[in-house]
Amino acid sequence: MTDATAGALAKQEEKDRQKRLKYYSASQWTLIWWRFRRHRAAMVASLILGLMAFLGLFAEFVAPYGPTTRDTMYIDGAPQIPMFCDQNGCSARPFIHSVSTRRDPVTLRAISVPDPDKRVYVTFFATGEATRILGVIPTSIHLFGLSEPDAKLHLWGTDDLGRDVFSRTMYATRTSLSIGVLGVLISFVLALVIGGIAGYAGGMTDNVIQRVTEVVRVVPIIPLYMGLAAAMPKEWSTTQVYFAMTLILGLFGWPTLARRIRSQLLSIRGEDYVIAARLAGARPGRIIGQHMLPSFTSFIIVDLVISFPYMILSETALSFVGLGLRPPTVSWGVLLQQAQSVRVIEQTPWLFIPAVFVVVAVLAFTIIGDGLRDAADPYSEAR
Amino acid sequence: MLRFTLERFVGMVITMALVSVMVFIIMEIPPGDYADRYAFRKFSGTGVSVTEADIEAIRSDLGLDKPMVLRYFDWIGGIVLHGDFGQAFAFETSVVKVIGDKAWLTLGIMLTTLILTYAISIPVGIYAAVKRGSSLDYGLTIFSYLGLALPNFLLALIMLYFANKWFGADIGGLLSARYQDAPWSLAKVWDLIKHLWLPAVVLAWSAVAYQIQTMRATMSDELNRLSVTAARARGVPEGKLLLKYPARLAINPIVSTIGFDVNRIFSELPIVAAVLGLTELGELLLKAYLDLDMYVAGAILLLLTFIIVFMNFVSDLLLAWLDPRIKLGA
Amino acid sequence: MLNVENLSISFRTDEGLITPVQGVSFKVEPGKTLGLVGESGSGKSITTKALMRLLPGNASLSGETRITYSAKDGNEVEIHKIKPNARSLRQLRGGEIGMIFQEPMASFSPVYTIGNQMMETIRLHRGCGKREARELAVEMLEKVGISNPSERIDQYPHEMSGGMRQRAMIALALSAGPALLIADEPTTALDVTIQAQVLDLMRDLQRDLGMGMIFITHDLGVIAQIADEVAVMYLGTIVERGATRDVIRSPKHPYTQGLLKAIPSLDTLHDRLSPVPGDIPSPTERPTGCPFHTRCPDFISGICDINTPFEVSPVAGRSVRCWLHSDVQGGRSAA
Repeated sequence: MTDATAGALAKQEEKDRQKRLKYYSASQWTLIWWRFRRHRAAMVASLILGLMAFLGLFAEFVAPYGPTTRDTMYIDGAPQIPMFCDQNGCSARPFIHSVSTRRDPVTLRAISVPDPDKRVYVTFFATGEATRILGVIPTSIHLFGLSEPDAKLHLWGTDDLGRDVFSRTMYATRTSLSIGVLGVLISFVLALVIGGIAGYAGGMTDNVIQRVTEVVRVVPIIPLYMGLAAAMPKEWSTTQVYFAMTLILGLFGWPTLARRIRSQLLSIRGEDYVIAARLAGARPGRIIGQHMLPSFTSFIIVDLVISFPYMILSETALSFVGLGLRPPTVSWGVLLQQAQSVRVIEQTPWLFIPAVFVVVAVLAFTIIGDGLRDAADPYSEAR
Repeated sequence: MLRFTLERFVGMVITMALVSVMVFIIMEIPPGDYADRYAFRKFSGTGVSVTEADIEAIRSDLGLDKPMVLRYFDWIGGIVLHGDFGQAFAFETSVVKVIGDKAWLTLGIMLTTLILTYAISIPVGIYAAVKRGSSLDYGLTIFSYLGLALPNFLLALIMLYFANKWFGADIGGLLSARYQDAPWSLAKVWDLIKHLWLPAVVLAWSAVAYQIQTMRATMSDELNRLSVTAARARGVPEGKLLLKYPARLAINPIVSTIGFDVNRIFSELPIVAAVLGLTELGELLLKAYLDLDMYVAGAILLLLTFIIVFMNFVSDLLLAWLDPRIKLGA
Repeated sequence: MLNVENLSISFRTDEGLITPVQGVSFKVEPGKTLGLVGESGSGKSITTKALMRLLPGNASLSGETRITYSAKDGNEVEIHKIKPNARSLRQLRGGEIGMIFQEPMASFSPVYTIGNQMMETIRLHRGCGKREARELAVEMLEKVGISNPSERIDQYPHEMSGGMRQRAMIALALSAGPALLIADEPTTALDVTIQAQVLDLMRDLQRDLGMGMIFITHDLGVIAQIADEVAVMYLGTIVERGATRDVIRSPKHPYTQGLLKAIPSLDTLHDRLSPVPGDIPSPTERPTGCPFHTRCPDFISGICDINTPFEVSPVAGRSVRCWLHSDVQGGRSAA
């Protein structure tokens, strides 16, 4: 063995030692992050969800048109997919064929006919409708548009009023995701308070709270939501309805999480370090917040992530049957109201595109939740 | 066992009492009261102008001027003592008449869905646990994710579309047109069964996806137990071994969530019913909410919850029978 | 009656192939007890699981492995060749070889009565009716010293005390009348007084029934009480073997010496206990040369860490795998 190889070996050993040291001294959150990063599906799901959040947040910029802007020239129109080639040859820039309206000689219905000889080019950062990003920053620049200001590009087609499905879906993404976030936050606060009291106090208080939790858990949730949603006065504004909906969703979403917090608190109430804190004279709020909650914060986060799909699916379902958000607000459920019959599948299937968003969002949240659960479990490493 | 049953029964009654209070509160939330709506419906379009006094008269006629607590006891007393759920004003008849047969149809849908759910998820879950890590196992996991993510109304639409395409038109609803008002007969029951599978498949879908994962997870845990190795070391044949030792304990979480599954079925029912055109309680409930016909809605909500609470009771008893340790802990 | 030659077991894992048991050979004679001693992780439990073909799906036996067993009817069974679903394997498990585990609570299914599980085994192997099986089960429970057996038989495992459960576990393993009993740390989880009772019971039963027995433990003190022969295992190989008395009186291998020094005794009450230093390495990080060299007090640098020692026999009836006892020190490494 030469000195050089011995040196290299020693170096390698030192490197390994450093790595191990870093591993042993890493904080709980760093460890969870390392393990989560290895979960490939969850990483992909996070990326997709991040993209969705971006699209929703900057809907005004991403969407070429407003959610209620009508294009009477293109009603129930099929998606227009930008192309590079047509019968007249190819182009380096994507384009679509311009559309003109004619009446069907037999049914007299207005039909849109593309003119294969007229190209309209797709441009990025195009000037279009004036709008305010997030309701504050005024702009008329949109992510994409067409070279001719009068022509309109309907990437995902239009509905029966000629409204652009792509633009509406972007705005709907914002509404649906934000309702999910607010609903989860409300139910989280409720769960923390209710579960915290039950788990820390125990005894009679716990018994009473358990009974109430049981009642909320036992009533079928969507019919319950429906009952409250039906009670919303018809004359309420869309904003009022929006906040009422978040409140309703949050109001009954807490029992599962409250149970988790309660049982965790109960199980560690007798642990030595909690008793030590109590003997040292710490107040209950401090004991719960400083000593007890941190031991299962990661589980709470997992439960929060997992409860997103229920919020989103509930909102979609309620709006779908007309008991949730109401037009002109757009959410995934409101958009899908237009897709209630088999006829739609046959004639205007692009109205189902928002459903793809629902499925993808729910899938992403579920997979991220699973990834987080695996990452948060300290024993998952051992296998 | 008797004491255990009795305890659970008392628990069930208490829960139902609390539920009835909550349902009553929900019935009371909509703005305006029954008298307003009654007067509006009765006189709208007749040209007769309604005065405050008229409404007041209706109100005291119906006993709506009494305090809320008294009205609650009137309502629940009528239900418990006389089986009287009040008036369905949109139908101008009693709630009991409106609900009638539909309750049985709903029960039929629920039971069919439950049987379908367990008949698929338990054996498939066991199989997936035994063949853990195989490509079939991965396929099932992907199916489960999709099953949980697909909104039920969308699934209902897709199923309806393909059912129409492959089996011809008359597939929605619960009964063919000619049996709709016919008296019950063997032919009608057969017709019902022919229609029942579609809503049952739609409603069972997500439950199957969920319970396969539950069964697979608990079965994998149980398979690793020493008692299974011990039984194998005594020469118990593999098939019998799987069913007698791990599977019997692994179905505990499924049995304990029967009530939860029924809850999910009833939760999805109004929406699936709306899409599939089922004429049962879910559809009626949705209609009642849209019309603000709160006595009908309250009665249905109470009935559905009662079924769930009762199924919870059944699942508690089943659990105690499956696992003798539970009775001791009770 | 049982002859194990060159038993090697490998597991396919995410970290690659690991071999926790390498080249283990031993014999068990009828009516005699072989003690297998070693720390947890030495491969002793895996070895006995292999005898019953109870290893998980990702485990495999090497090609040189031969396990032969002469059955009660006189037939030779080649255990390493049996197909997993074969009838002969089911006959072997329980009927020919019985097994007792460390955790009596965990080895009973909690949802069936003791009697249910005993009668299942009896009926499987003796092909008798329900009533006869019940009588046999009651008889067996009485034999292991459970009072009031005709009532106890209908009890669930959780209704019994720890010692009682271990007795029931023994009755269960013996109910089909095996000729060989494998006991995997049967007394480790018990109180010392009950431990002694159970050991007495097992010795008596063995004498009465004329069974062969493999007794696994990490406690040389227990071995001294029950085993005729002892084999000490370290990291999947047998490092020393011989008659129990001889091994305990004059241990040859430094590991055996270390184990003996670690036993607390009344005579040396005021001295400090001297446990074997360090931890047993994981099978994925198997040391080169003699597997024990990383913890060995007498380790010879340049030999022990490079060459694997052979099995040598310094005295008749004894054998040891250690360079300290080899004449061919510094010779070629053994395959």
